[in-house]
Amino acid sequence: MEKKKETSRTPINISVADVERAFKKVKEFQKILKKGKTPQQIFEDLIRLIVVEE
Amino acid sequence: MELASNIGIPTVLIGGLALPAYNVARTTLDIDICIYVTTQEQLDIFIINLEKVEIYTKQKPKIVHDVFTVFEKKNEAEIWLKPCDAFNWDEIMLKKTRSFQKNLDVLSVEDFIITKLGRTDRSSVDISDILQILIANIDSIDWKYLQYRLDWAGLADDFIEILNAFSLDIDSQYQNIAKRIVNKFKKSNEY
Repeated sequence: MEKKKETSRTPINISVADVERAFKKVKEFQKILKKGKTPQQIFEDLIRLIVVEE
Repeated sequence: MELASNIGIPTVLIGGLALPAYNVARTTLDIDICIYVTTQEQLDIFIINLEKVEIYTKQKPKIVHDVFTVFEKKNEAEIWLKPCDAFNWDEIMLKKTRSFQKNLDVLSVEDFIITKLGRTDRSSVDISDILQILIANIDSIDWKYLQYRLDWAGLADDFIEILNAFSLDIDSQYQNIAKRIVNKFKKSNEY
């Protein structure tokens, strides 16, 4: 099996506000789904923001 | 990704742009794609085929590299040869990829979490993504497989740090789901 790299990553520090913000963001996403948008349509919207048209 | 699929090279969308596949979204300017090639010949064929559709790289990608950049007129994308800079593909990971839409596959939710947790330059954005993925996919995550992957990648302690955040004194409306996340993970440890 492939050996994983030894790394020293930034420590994880999560506050109450971070967790509550995560819950709020998930709720917002679910609201968009309830309005009828699909995850695929949301993905297409994000792509449109990135891709530069000729 | 369609091109890679046409020449039989498994490909998945990774990074922030893949988040909607896991019921999470945030803006990002990066396009990160991961291909599964095992030989230099396969990689060369992939690059030749990209050139046929006017997608170029200024680098000379080698099979031992982690990533290279491709350009198409005004757009660019990062092509990764491994799902995360800290680990490579394996057969189980490959088998667990799933279709998000036509010609667009993604990693399993568990493997995607590991790519975010494992990256060498992991940031608070990755941690926020993981929190949201856990909340949004609580009932579809294979917790036992996640546990296996965390051990495999040596990330179990890091994940515990994230789980501990769900035991903080958060708003009561979120506490039920937070407790369920912690319990689901604890239960997966009992086997």
